[in-house]
Amino acid sequence: MEGAFAVMSTAAPMETVLEIHALRLNRGQRQVLCGVDLEVWRGEMVALMGLSGSGKTTVLRAVAGLETYGEGSIQVEKVGMVFQFHYLFEHLSALANVWLAPVHVLGVARADAESRAQSLLDQIGVGHRAHALPRELSGGEAQRVAIARALAVDPPLLLLDEPTASLDPARQNELGKALRELSAQGRTLLFTSHDDDFVRDYATRVVVLAEGRVVEEGEPRQVLTRPKHEATRQLLQVEPAKRRTRR
Amino acid sequence: MAQDPILRWGGDAEGGAPFMEASPDDPTKLVGFDVEVAELIALELGRRPQFVQVAFAQLDQSAIRGDFDVGLCGIEDTPARRSMVASSVPYYEFREVITVREADEDRFKSLADLHGRRIATLGGTIAYEILLKAEAEHGITPVSYDDDVHPYSDLLLGRVDAVLLDNVLAERSMRRNSGLFTQGEAVEVGHYVVITAPSNLELRDRVDEILRSAMRDGRLEAIFRKWRVWNDDQPGLYARVLAAASDVVAGRPAATRPSRRELTLQYLPSLFAAALITLALSCLSMALAVTLGVAIATGRVYGGPLTRAVLTGYVELMRGTPVLLQLFVIYYGLAAMVRLPAFVAALLGLGLNYAAYESEIYRSALEAVPKGQLEASRILGFSRMQVLRLIRGPQAFRLALAPMTNDFVALLKDSSLVSVLTVVELTKRTQIFAANIGSWVIPGVVCAGLYLAMSLPLGHLARRLEMRWKAPSLS
Repeated sequence: MEGAFAVMSTAAPMETVLEIHALRLNRGQRQVLCGVDLEVWRGEMVALMGLSGSGKTTVLRAVAGLETYGEGSIQVEKVGMVFQFHYLFEHLSALANVWLAPVHVLGVARADAESRAQSLLDQIGVGHRAHALPRELSGGEAQRVAIARALAVDPPLLLLDEPTASLDPARQNELGKALRELSAQGRTLLFTSHDDDFVRDYATRVVVLAEGRVVEEGEPRQVLTRPKHEATRQLLQVEPAKRRTRR
Repeated sequence: MAQDPILRWGGDAEGGAPFMEASPDDPTKLVGFDVEVAELIALELGRRPQFVQVAFAQLDQSAIRGDFDVGLCGIEDTPARRSMVASSVPYYEFREVITVREADEDRFKSLADLHGRRIATLGGTIAYEILLKAEAEHGITPVSYDDDVHPYSDLLLGRVDAVLLDNVLAERSMRRNSGLFTQGEAVEVGHYVVITAPSNLELRDRVDEILRSAMRDGRLEAIFRKWRVWNDDQPGLYARVLAAASDVVAGRPAATRPSRRELTLQYLPSLFAAALITLALSCLSMALAVTLGVAIATGRVYGGPLTRAVLTGYVELMRGTPVLLQLFVIYYGLAAMVRLPAFVAALLGLGLNYAAYESEIYRSALEAVPKGQLEASRILGFSRMQVLRLIRGPQAFRLALAPMTNDFVALLKDSSLVSVLTVVELTKRTQIFAANIGSWVIPGVVCAGLYLAMSLPLGHLARRLEMRWKAPSLS
């Protein structure tokens, strides 16, 4: 675990952005999370890995306030979230998707919010698509607009659910670089992923979930090269096969 | 050719006494002076009478179609009628009289006194034609009803200021309602006749003979005396009928009637005007339905259990009962509490009814907006009202647009129902037009054309909006 601290890209004093303590969550009779503990510090880029059903997405949703949980605690300020299927507002242009919350939630003047939205889109590489409607965007473009939308309200923590799932390897690398850029600016990222290559290349820390618990965590290269836990080993066996079928 | 042993005679049993009504002793039997005249004719023809129910306004068309052999039901002798069906010699003379509220007895003595006022009558009658003429001459507003009871009840309620109908109906209404006064002077004199199909002149001539002989031997007089409608006008009529050669009718010159073409041209402007009423009524009702529908749908999606139960009850009540019934209740049923003008009652009736249907469309559209959209909004910090106003509402509106357009077209057509509340809209005006020129062909085509002219552009507009929202734009 100490390794996680070593690769942090920010020199700022360590500040906790998210603290999850003994989180338990049931759906009907099924226990989805059975005591998850997780702490995330400012500037980190943490990957949540685990087999399907291990509870990765549920942890993100609980942090975002979309799940009611039975026991435990989550301490977090405001979060932004990028869904796997983006959920851009279908009736609004990419630009309006980004400025809507600053104007109506934060009370920013429309003109200011619009120019800020445009610069966010420019920054993340989709400025030229500002006036397109969501249905006219490619998967990768839509994802970037969704990231800009989430960042527009300046959340200390950005959650991303399976950001690489629908991207080809070239686009995955572009995304990775964009996320690393955000991290360099002092933003904190927590994302779920199935893709150990991406996690190895870009995450500063990996947390492996199995059956609703954190079973292993640490510096990605270490954890993914010499997995200690059986669940992590299974994950690494399954994943390459999955990727092959996807191509 | 063997003679049919049955004589089918047509009339409208809703006409009521003294013409015809269900017997108080045996509701399956009809009684009234027209029933007895029909029986007399059947007896003389050696045939068994059998009653055929026909709506009053459709008697002529029905005679032409051959639905019955003879028709009698307070049927007035008019030039228009004589050009369409074969009619007998008159068997009763009536006077068109003005009935007013007792307080207005001295104020409203003639049509000229009623300048700027609303005058009620039965649609498709001589009285209605007199009122149409008086509209131009004296600036009165004719109000047409489908029955002869509500003109008088609305007179008492103050919705109209006078009723012009024949003395038989006026006297009956005076017996039923207190507070009414009928002016003694006749506006016009008219006659009841028996009608047959235009091709059946042989039967018509036989009916003439029978009526004349019944005038001579007092059988007709006995019938009218029994029903207490015999008066001093009748002996004069009988004398004239018996003295005259076959089809001279007392008091009325024979057809100096404008051609069908002229009549059509005369009526066209009124059809356009009626189409405007239909359009205005539909647009206003739809505006009410949409506003209320949005409120109901929002309440059902966001409200607490009590709100939801109340709104669900409203929707089920409005959808589960006929809109015609709702219109009657709003206009006539609530009259004791609130006296709504006919147009307002029509607007409310249609609007309240359609609000139930609209709310269902909006509710399902709201529920069809993906949950992910709502979750994304929540995380961004929008309040529930903001989510509804900025994200969920606009997306639901796009989903609701097609069914809404559908409903608006349906409403355009359903607006014809409000003619029961005396609102003369396109369909009602067409009916009057058709009755007057004696054909449905031209009025039907023009009416259909006007409805299509209103509904087709709407459908077109809706399709264009949908396309714009669905297809990728070329930006």
